[in-house]
Amino acid sequence: MTGGGNSGIGGGGRPGTWGARLLAVAFWLVAWQLLSWAVDSRIILVGPLEVLARLGSLALTPEFWASVGTSLGRIGLGFLGGLAGGLLLAALAARVRAARVLLAPLMGALKAVPVASFVILVLLWVSSCELSVVISWIMAMPIVYTNVLEGIEQTDAGLLEMAEVFGVGALERVRMVYLSQVLPYFRAAVSLALGLSWKAGIAAEVIGLPDLTIGEHLYDAKVYLDTPDLFAWTVAIVVVSVALEALVSRGLDVALSWWEARP
Amino acid sequence: MSCLELRDVTKGYDGLPVLSGASARFDAGRAHVVMGPSGAGKTTVLRLLAGLEEPDAGEVVRPAGTRLAMTFQEDRLLDNLTATANIRLPHGRLRGDELASFLELEREALHAVGLPVDARPVRELSGGQRRRVAILRCVLAPANVLIFDEPLKGMDEKTVRQVMGYVLPRLTGRTVLWVTHDERERGLFERPVLWTVRGGCVLRATM
Repeated sequence: MTGGGNSGIGGGGRPGTWGARLLAVAFWLVAWQLLSWAVDSRIILVGPLEVLARLGSLALTPEFWASVGTSLGRIGLGFLGGLAGGLLLAALAARVRAARVLLAPLMGALKAVPVASFVILVLLWVSSCELSVVISWIMAMPIVYTNVLEGIEQTDAGLLEMAEVFGVGALERVRMVYLSQVLPYFRAAVSLALGLSWKAGIAAEVIGLPDLTIGEHLYDAKVYLDTPDLFAWTVAIVVVSVALEALVSRGLDVALSWWEARP
Repeated sequence: MSCLELRDVTKGYDGLPVLSGASARFDAGRAHVVMGPSGAGKTTVLRLLAGLEEPDAGEVVRPAGTRLAMTFQEDRLLDNLTATANIRLPHGRLRGDELASFLELEREALHAVGLPVDARPVRELSGGQRRRVAILRCVLAPANVLIFDEPLKGMDEKTVRQVMGYVLPRLTGRTVLWVTHDERERGLFERPVLWTVRGGCVLRATM
């Protein structure tokens, strides 16, 4: 019998329920702790208990929150810029074929060039404080551009014909027909671009070393071989990333439900 | 208002002729029932009149001031919007009192044709329910020419009576082009103009 609610692993190898997931996480945490005891060197590997303790003590300092806030603010700004830029350029490319042809190699290059190359190059142009803004913008824009353009192109031709016959105006066509078709693509782009922007932004900070940022603390931890700090800041980055992703996904879901349920 | 007209229209797809020199005048303000065998070109006639196709030769006349609405063979609804938002689409962005009074009209219409009035997107409605939403969008559109391409296909008789009970009074005085395979649908209209599409021509039938 396969009953017993949702506490077990689902059939067919499906990684299932919260219970099973928590068990898997617990397994790896225990393995990590055991390995750190076996290695017995704070420089090479610290266990999760020590990392947690270090994170706890960091979280009690104003500097921790100021650093998280600064990094989040700058990367968030770049991400929003990337969203806006990607949306506008996708709309332009969908409308003007020449713009699309012109933008294709640029977007291709933005996606293909390694982030480290961009960081070093952009550091020659802007101050280290603005570096993570530019890098997160560069990361987000091509993803949003590509996905939204794909969404526009996949818009059901039958719906566009319908709008034409009914004489639906250009603005309403965008708001009702295109928006409803593009939203799933936009949602996927936001989710993907958010994670990439955040990680690339932190990497830019590690290279650019702007004051009072997560990247600077990561760099300091490396220089002083402060492995607990390195792990603690890394955990903080992951937690912020997961929280952001959940928050934005939830926000988009709520906005989408509200939009769909309008009378 | 003047008539919609096909003047010596020829139209084909991939070298296959569908209409060959077809001419027809559809009197304004009347119901026109268009019949004919499958593949004869009924939908092509509608698409030409709606401006969705250009003739290979000949001319399609749509008088100035023509405002179209159409029920396609497919529902062509915005899946993630409610029935009321779909029906309201041809009206543009309504606000305030205008929106409130139109919403009231929509709710009456939905109720009259046996549809639920709720916040569900139309993707959650059944095929038959979606069809009725598409018909209401057409009937309640601010249009003087209404085109219906087999709108009642697959609908049971009780639902047809319910839908037409609401729809027919709202067609009065408007030009209606009604394509159907079902002989019985001729009887829905009072003194309709009957047309047959056959052999590449659009022929006015005598009653």
